[in-house]
Amino acid sequence: MKAPTADKIRRRNVRALCLCLAALAALLALFTLPAYTFETALFTKKSGNTFVGDERYVQARAEVDEKAAAYAAHQPANTVAVAEEVTTRVNSKGETTSMVAFRVVLRQSKTAWDFIASGLSSGGLLLAALLCTASAMGLLFAGLPGTLSKTPLRLSRPRYLLRQASCVLALAALVCVGVFPLATTQMLERDLIARLGNPATPALEQLIGRAEAFLLGGMGGDQASELLAGVTYHSTVWLWLNLPALLLMLCGMIALGRESVTRTLSRGLLYLFVILLCVIILYPYYVMLITGFRSNAETTDMYFTNIFPTRWVWTNVPDIIHRGVVRFLGNSLLLSGGATLIALCCGIPAAYAMSRMRFRGKKTFLGFVIMSQMFAPIVLLVGISQLMNFLGLNDSILGLMLINAAFNQAFAIWLLRGTFVSISPEMEQAASIDGCSTVGALWRVLLPMAAPGIVTTLIFVFINSWNEYTISTVLISTPFKKPITVGITQFSSFNMIEWQYLFASALLATIPVVILFMFIEKQLVSGLTSGGVKG
Amino acid sequence: MNTISVRRKWEPYLWLLPSVLLMTVFVIFPILIVFKLSFSEISKAGVVGRFIGLENFRAAIADRAFAGVMLNTLYWVVSVVGISTLIGFIVAMTLNTRFRGRKIARSIVIFPWATSLVIQASIWNYIINFEYGNLNNVLLNLGFLKDAINWRASYQIEFIWECGVGIFVTVPFVTFCVLAGLQSIDDAYYEAATVDGAGFWKKLTLVTLPLVRPSLTVSTVLNIIYVFNSFPIIYTITKGAPANRTDTMVTYLYMLAFYDQRKGPATALSVIGFVLLCVVAGLYMMISMRKDEI
Repeated sequence: MKAPTADKIRRRNVRALCLCLAALAALLALFTLPAYTFETALFTKKSGNTFVGDERYVQARAEVDEKAAAYAAHQPANTVAVAEEVTTRVNSKGETTSMVAFRVVLRQSKTAWDFIASGLSSGGLLLAALLCTASAMGLLFAGLPGTLSKTPLRLSRPRYLLRQASCVLALAALVCVGVFPLATTQMLERDLIARLGNPATPALEQLIGRAEAFLLGGMGGDQASELLAGVTYHSTVWLWLNLPALLLMLCGMIALGRESVTRTLSRGLLYLFVILLCVIILYPYYVMLITGFRSNAETTDMYFTNIFPTRWVWTNVPDIIHRGVVRFLGNSLLLSGGATLIALCCGIPAAYAMSRMRFRGKKTFLGFVIMSQMFAPIVLLVGISQLMNFLGLNDSILGLMLINAAFNQAFAIWLLRGTFVSISPEMEQAASIDGCSTVGALWRVLLPMAAPGIVTTLIFVFINSWNEYTISTVLISTPFKKPITVGITQFSSFNMIEWQYLFASALLATIPVVILFMFIEKQLVSGLTSGGVKG
Repeated sequence: MNTISVRRKWEPYLWLLPSVLLMTVFVIFPILIVFKLSFSEISKAGVVGRFIGLENFRAAIADRAFAGVMLNTLYWVVSVVGISTLIGFIVAMTLNTRFRGRKIARSIVIFPWATSLVIQASIWNYIINFEYGNLNNVLLNLGFLKDAINWRASYQIEFIWECGVGIFVTVPFVTFCVLAGLQSIDDAYYEAATVDGAGFWKKLTLVTLPLVRPSLTVSTVLNIIYVFNSFPIIYTITKGAPANRTDTMVTYLYMLAFYDQRKGPATALSVIGFVLLCVVAGLYMMISMRKDEI
């Protein structure tokens, strides 16, 4: 790599700086565009037995228009409008009746500046974001003179720290803007609207006062509470565009502390993608966690606006234990443990023969093993249940064990054979020359060396059997013999689902296998490729 | 050669015996039983009667729900396998680049594979609930929505959700397989390509794709089998309702055999599904194997 010239570095740095300035300009512009739209019904009049255009309609309309004009005098132009809704229906005597509902609606949009000026708590976040951005840019420019043609590595220590600090501040601004919508919902729903009926505390009164000034222009008067309760709100795309703008600014600042702008931008996008991906993947687990420890009322709360339960109901755990979850977990453990043991006891000798011996029909057997993966037990449900009836293994955990072991044979042999092939047979040959039998050589020499592969297979079969659901539903009818995957469905009956119990037990069923899986993840990658691709 | 001397000729077969026995009894026998039952008369109580030829197949195909169920199965397999292979490939490519926290990201992306499908399906069933589901909650909280959306307004939308959940649970496995393939590619290939002036697309189509094809083949064949046989997602979210409109073959078969007690047509369906699966997976394997040899 040849070192870039001073001129080239200068050009790069200027480009990054331009990006920062453009992002700042975009941010300031976005702050003056509407961030939220609010809608409030100031006055409602319903006029029964009225048809559009008749005398009563004109009268009512005039009254409403007058009201609207009165309200409009206190409000910015074009925010007060009259909406009318006509409902017609035919009554029991066959006459058509009609009702007109007039609503004087205050429709307004608020910019980020409005939020800051209002003194509302969530506006403080925007103010903080603004201050962070301003000081980040300030620090950036303070450290700028004389450094434009230098690579970051040649900067003096204080100047380097200044650039780092500006990056951190820009990140803080990003977080503030990201949290703002959440805080706004929280403030309006939980702190304001949900508490309007409650006895007033000083904090609430202050909040009502500020919200009234902000949303109603101070003309709510006695009706303030009622009007505020009817407010609906909605974030605009401009608010969300603040986030990419800040992200671009952050990228520009990082680019100034690094090499090139495009590289930094592509890195930024990469991280963004990965973070989004992780958030999406973890989302169901987050839901499981918070739902498992909420009260029943809260799991079916339509207006649940918290990120975490308002109260963690740990007693859900004793409740589900009382309902037999430990028994189900024990069954699952027995079932999966037994299946794993059987699968390994049958699979290790087979894999050993496949990897170490030459015999006629080896290819046929390998083909059969690969083909047998196609025979998922579900298509064969009827056959399996008939077979189990015949063997007298219906409704028994032993039957499930054998089925799971049989359907996991293919994978077990595949993984084990891959492991055995990768180990040189010299040690075993030496052992057999020393008078060790084949079984002895396998047991004392090969198995200890193949331990990682065997553990991988073991855990893999265990997880598969633990998660199996369909065969267990069909074969097991006695409640106390059910494994956990079937057991948890008892919490969701036809007309009522006890979500909190369902998810608390699901959590108990998930944690052990996920931990086990983490152990073998890496091993499994190499096991699958070596066993699979080299065939 | 990696072989050891065997004194007796029949010894290898002795080693294979337990495995062969296990698979014969619990895999081959059920297949034979299903084939035999599909040609026999079966009473509601499950008593096997005389040979009736193709009567069960006729009854299964003549059922009003059959065509819809087959179509659903096709949509289900093609969309879930296709889309999750595409997404999984992109995710694996992303996770194969170097960045900080890559190991953690990989673990997070792959671990859902170890979660039971019933559990995943139950969670999504809760998330998309209209009245109190978490998705509406989150979107309302963020201010994206004015009013809650009914995510389950019609059975078509429900079926799309089921496909979505299917994709969600399948992506980790594809990522896992492709990542394993990507990691085995020698960096020298890319260096050589860079020297030759190849851009991103050329590297992707001329280096990466041919070299991960074996992994993609393995994951696609296995996925076709898994997804075709996937039961818990549809059973948990809609149970095939309304009137088998969201059923795939596997859930329909289950309902037929264990709710409606029509075991005859159910076994006929089993045979049809089994043959279909063998044909599709076999074809795919043959095509991709042949390409590999050239």
